[in-house]
Amino acid sequence: MARLDIVQLTKQFGGVTAVDAAQFTVNDNEFMCILGPSGCGKSTLLRMVAGFEAPTSGDIRIDGETIAALPANKRPTAMVFQKYTLWPHMTVYDNIAFGLGLRRLSRSVIEQKVKEALELVSLSGYEARYPAQLSGGQQQRVALARAIVLEPKILLLDEPFSSLDAILRVRLREELKRIQRRLKITAIFVTHDQEEALSLADRIAVMSGGRIEQLDAPSTIYSTPSTLFVADFIGTMNLLQATAAGGELRVGDYRLPAPAGLKEGQVTVAIRPEDVVLGGEGTGWRGTVDQVMDLGHYRKIIAQIPGVGDVKIYLSKMPDVSEGAPITLNPQRWLVYQPDAALPLEYRRAGAVEAAV
Amino acid sequence: MTTQTLSPKTDSPRQWRQAAFAYLLVAPPLLLMLLLIFIPALQSIARTLTVDVDGQVGFSFSRYVAFFQDRISVSNLMFTFQVVFLTLATIFVVCFPLALYLRFAQGRLAAAVQILALFPLFVPGIILCYALIRFLGTRGTLETILNVVGVSGYRTPYLKPEAIIIGLVWESIPFTVLVLTAGLRQVNDSLIESARDVGANDWTIFRRIILPLIMRPVLIAFSLNFLGIFGAYTVPYLLGPAAPQMMGVFMQQTFGQYRRPDDAETQAVITFIICSLVGLLYVRTVAKQRIQQENE
Repeated sequence: MARLDIVQLTKQFGGVTAVDAAQFTVNDNEFMCILGPSGCGKSTLLRMVAGFEAPTSGDIRIDGETIAALPANKRPTAMVFQKYTLWPHMTVYDNIAFGLGLRRLSRSVIEQKVKEALELVSLSGYEARYPAQLSGGQQQRVALARAIVLEPKILLLDEPFSSLDAILRVRLREELKRIQRRLKITAIFVTHDQEEALSLADRIAVMSGGRIEQLDAPSTIYSTPSTLFVADFIGTMNLLQATAAGGELRVGDYRLPAPAGLKEGQVTVAIRPEDVVLGGEGTGWRGTVDQVMDLGHYRKIIAQIPGVGDVKIYLSKMPDVSEGAPITLNPQRWLVYQPDAALPLEYRRAGAVEAAV
Repeated sequence: MTTQTLSPKTDSPRQWRQAAFAYLLVAPPLLLMLLLIFIPALQSIARTLTVDVDGQVGFSFSRYVAFFQDRISVSNLMFTFQVVFLTLATIFVVCFPLALYLRFAQGRLAAAVQILALFPLFVPGIILCYALIRFLGTRGTLETILNVVGVSGYRTPYLKPEAIIIGLVWESIPFTVLVLTAGLRQVNDSLIESARDVGANDWTIFRRIILPLIMRPVLIAFSLNFLGIFGAYTVPYLLGPAAPQMMGVFMQQTFGQYRRPDDAETQAVITFIICSLVGLLYVRTVAKQRIQQENE
């Protein structure tokens, strides 16, 4: 039960700025994900909160009190690391009890808390095992138990599932969400996996080059990415170069209606694959099917549109489309990014519906 | 009913050829060890356990009884143990901080410290001894410096047990630092950070996390240093007192000066047995490490 304030937090390594004036608040009980590509500064930001990196400038506050000057072992935070963090010479019980022992709790209290923590991560009965006797997923569950048993004000997770296989990752993700909801704990989860972030987070901070590009709810981040970087990084997006003139967008040989308030000049049009439908004879974009990828319950089609380029769309199983066949596409909703505007402009065709896939 | 017998892979001619080639490679050093170490050692042990009375050779512990009844011999053995354990303790007190610094520090100073720590490796023992005599001895460099800064009453450790310990510690630093630093590098940073994260301070991290994780390198450094120090000759002979003596000096004097090869042989076998016990600790530690590495 705590609130975290990151205030103009900056970290420089030599001449390189790893985190550039990050500013945000993680509310009580909130699950925030920091999402970004490798080297964007997300782990450095988390390590500053944990106390493993000293900020160059800025402040970190928990419930209004600064913790920036506190060493890591005095902070009311607990961290789950990427991997290799269980002490191999200690049993599961000793690993979880270690932090409790440092707090000088009685043996009976420690036993009770370890038992509860193991129940929470579904590992009751594993107390006497050593880390080497556990699978990767079990080890990360113990690491999670070791962190939450201390009842930290803020739980920090640094890509804890990145070394696990895809199925286990999804399962542990669901388990983590359940535990966070049950314990009502404030958590920050760092990941480069957008699916992980979209499924876990109450809010996502997308980072690039040390800066926070956008901080919003997952649905907003997906539907209205505020920068071209976020548009390109989150999900699949068709980014097409266009010219805005006379209330229209010229994309290759085709024209699209321009959103209100758009200034004339070179712009980038961003169209989600699910915002493109087949058909629209006469006004549709005509081309050929280049690739068809069957992804289970839907297909991803890459169409080559002369003068426009490759356009990705999602299709349900029907109608049948084969490679090399002619295709006509009809975009229903798009965002327009202008070079000097802070936010994109949206255009939605009248009657356009959300894609079902 | 037919039975099928699958010949194991090791029975294939190729495997046999490979095994034979491997044995051929290790044969020369094994043969040398057998001829120059094991056979003479066994002959010595056998001689110390026999007694010749009027041409009649019989089994006897009399040489060992004589050794342990001789006050000087026992005093020298105890003195050797004292010097060995004090030296080992000093080595770890000096080398642990150095190794920890080299493991966690970065930059030019750490590189300079590493070079300094390895420097004794390139200095022969006899040069070290004379350098220490010039430095620590009466009217040596240290006393001169102390006099210049107004400190009087310097008592030199030269020809005292302390001088042996200083010399042996100096000689052992490079090897110990190398072994400990290599062991510390195996301890992942995240293991230390996760301990700090749950509230451990530096001392607790060292005691509860780092030390148990590098117990094998510590045992290797302990046992190899023990073997080197227990049988040391040059440093105790040149820097140490005339009495009591360490076993290396004692053996040499009994053999060369007092012309009592039988007694020297008994002293050597006793030294050999003590060192073998510590050697077993080393072999056991290394074997465990190899098994663990193979299992990983």
